[in-house]
Amino acid sequence: MVGARDLKKIGDFLYEIPTSHRSDMRVPARFYADDRLLDGITGDRSLEQLVNTATLPGVVRYVLAMPDIHQGYGFPIGGVAATELPDGVISPGGVGYDINCGVRLLASPLEADAVQPHLDQLATVLYANCPSGVGQGGPVKLKPGELDEVMQNGARWALKRGFATEADLDRTEEGGCLAGADADRVSARARDRGRGQVGTLGAGNHFIEVDVVDRVQDEDTARRLGLFSGQVVAQIHCGSRGLGHQVCTDYVNLFQKTVRKYGLTLPDRELVCAPAGSPEGRNYLAAMQAAANYAFANRQVLAFHIRRSFEQVLAGRVKNHHLFQIYDIAHNMAKIESHTVDGRRLTLCVHRKGATRAFGPGSAVLPAAYRDIGQPVLVPGSMGTSSWVLVGTAGAMDQTFGSTCHGAGRTMSRHQAKRSVHGAGLREELETRGIKVRAGSLSGLAEEAPGAYKDVDRVVEVVHGAGIARRVARLTPLAVIKG
Amino acid sequence: MSDVVDTGASGAAFEEIEHTADRALRIRGCNLEELLVNAARGLLNIMDPVPSAGGRTATRVIDLAAVDAETLLVNWLSELAFWAETEMLVFDRFEVEQISSTHLRAVARGGRADRLERHVKAVTFHNLDIVQTPHGLTATVVFDV
Repeated sequence: MVGARDLKKIGDFLYEIPTSHRSDMRVPARFYADDRLLDGITGDRSLEQLVNTATLPGVVRYVLAMPDIHQGYGFPIGGVAATELPDGVISPGGVGYDINCGVRLLASPLEADAVQPHLDQLATVLYANCPSGVGQGGPVKLKPGELDEVMQNGARWALKRGFATEADLDRTEEGGCLAGADADRVSARARDRGRGQVGTLGAGNHFIEVDVVDRVQDEDTARRLGLFSGQVVAQIHCGSRGLGHQVCTDYVNLFQKTVRKYGLTLPDRELVCAPAGSPEGRNYLAAMQAAANYAFANRQVLAFHIRRSFEQVLAGRVKNHHLFQIYDIAHNMAKIESHTVDGRRLTLCVHRKGATRAFGPGSAVLPAAYRDIGQPVLVPGSMGTSSWVLVGTAGAMDQTFGSTCHGAGRTMSRHQAKRSVHGAGLREELETRGIKVRAGSLSGLAEEAPGAYKDVDRVVEVVHGAGIARRVARLTPLAVIKG
Repeated sequence: MSDVVDTGASGAAFEEIEHTADRALRIRGCNLEELLVNAARGLLNIMDPVPSAGGRTATRVIDLAAVDAETLLVNWLSELAFWAETEMLVFDRFEVEQISSTHLRAVARGGRADRLERHVKAVTFHNLDIVQTPHGLTATVVFDV
């Protein structure tokens, strides 16, 4: 285990593990934390996993972890690693199984008081309209060949099918469609898993929430995004479902052989990889992008179901219940991006595993409406606590390849949470606090108990303090929908 | 179901190991065949199915090839997780017909579940190593849930 003695504090919220720590490190490993978060971070094997990523061939500058870092498999959750093309590697384990797991934020023009009398019904209708749970299929039936269209076109497919508006696509990372996707690189088994799951939430830590904006930290930026204090908003947290899980499974399996072909030595078999410019690397990237497009389409269809639910419950009861999109971001992804490293402009493969892109003001890839304020960053907290809306900064471009945190980050294992938290009791406690809960599995609910996570306010304070994102507004839950 | 299941000679068939984000099992078996069967039972324990009342028995013949024993273990568990996710089929009886470190042919028997408490998204290779001990084989598998 990496201990406190192995760390060098190099900034108010920044620590470094130098390359002298282990002979196979190609670059230093850096992570963001304050004193209290540091205790938790050194309590599991996440820093050892971060050090492992510093051994990846072609990795540049340093590998990074955000303050929500916790133990994963291969990469730690919260990890960022950038490799230089064409010989630097791409690692499926550096993206994870839930390719393009991400967050979408929709906002209403309503204040919480207007929705409160209808909240119970709204939670019930959302749960009924948004399919959730293990293996749960959805009502969207794809025609033969249409799954390919979902994988090639992502949210554009949803627009064509009437599930989206142009404004939704404009306010989605990459417009909801990664151009390099190639559905032909996705296996029959992945297709079998994904075919019936478009527009479904799944299980685990995925959720839909109705929230209220309870604190505005930056009035001007909030106004520009369309947010105000007391406003009702909705969040979606989910990804590419079984299709993405299988794409990762397929390529991690395939790359067990590929690393031998390219003579790559790695400290963990989950880190298997291929040069990003090699045929194998390009094939994985194209398949990953196809799965990412599926995830964009999935969140878009869920957004459609949420809008339908608001319509069903609130039409005729409130003046305007229409939901508009603030943004949709990925937090498990590998992207080919251009960054300046030691004065040189490099083309990099940036792996973000449980980390969010956080491009600062001026970035040409941002929607015109947000270009001068920076990219919105959506940071869901644990169930029953706060979530945050941040914006990307120039500091993130300088320090973290334009990346920041993605959530609260776990501190307690699911096994431990299940033993120490009773699902029914937790639901009762949340309901007592006025939070409506609809969940398919009480033990699943217990595993996601707020106490199993770090304090998201503290995590956000660190990224704000370190200058790798800027606080805009805080959300607190009114209703939680889980599988 | 309990978190530690004992099968006798080689010690606990599987036991849960603490893992911050996901689920991990230490699995034991006196040989590769028993290790794979015990791993399948451990997976079933994590998924925690609610069996379908009066459901018919389901049988699947599973034939897998892999580059080594660790990959075979991952592929075997991935296969079982696939049937659980796509058809809600869970298996608790296994007959291994042929086995080597790179090939497995087995018959899995079980039935349909009404519900699974937990979704196993994937079986990982994280620090996976099948180790020979004085009592048999052991491996720790991390599941993405």
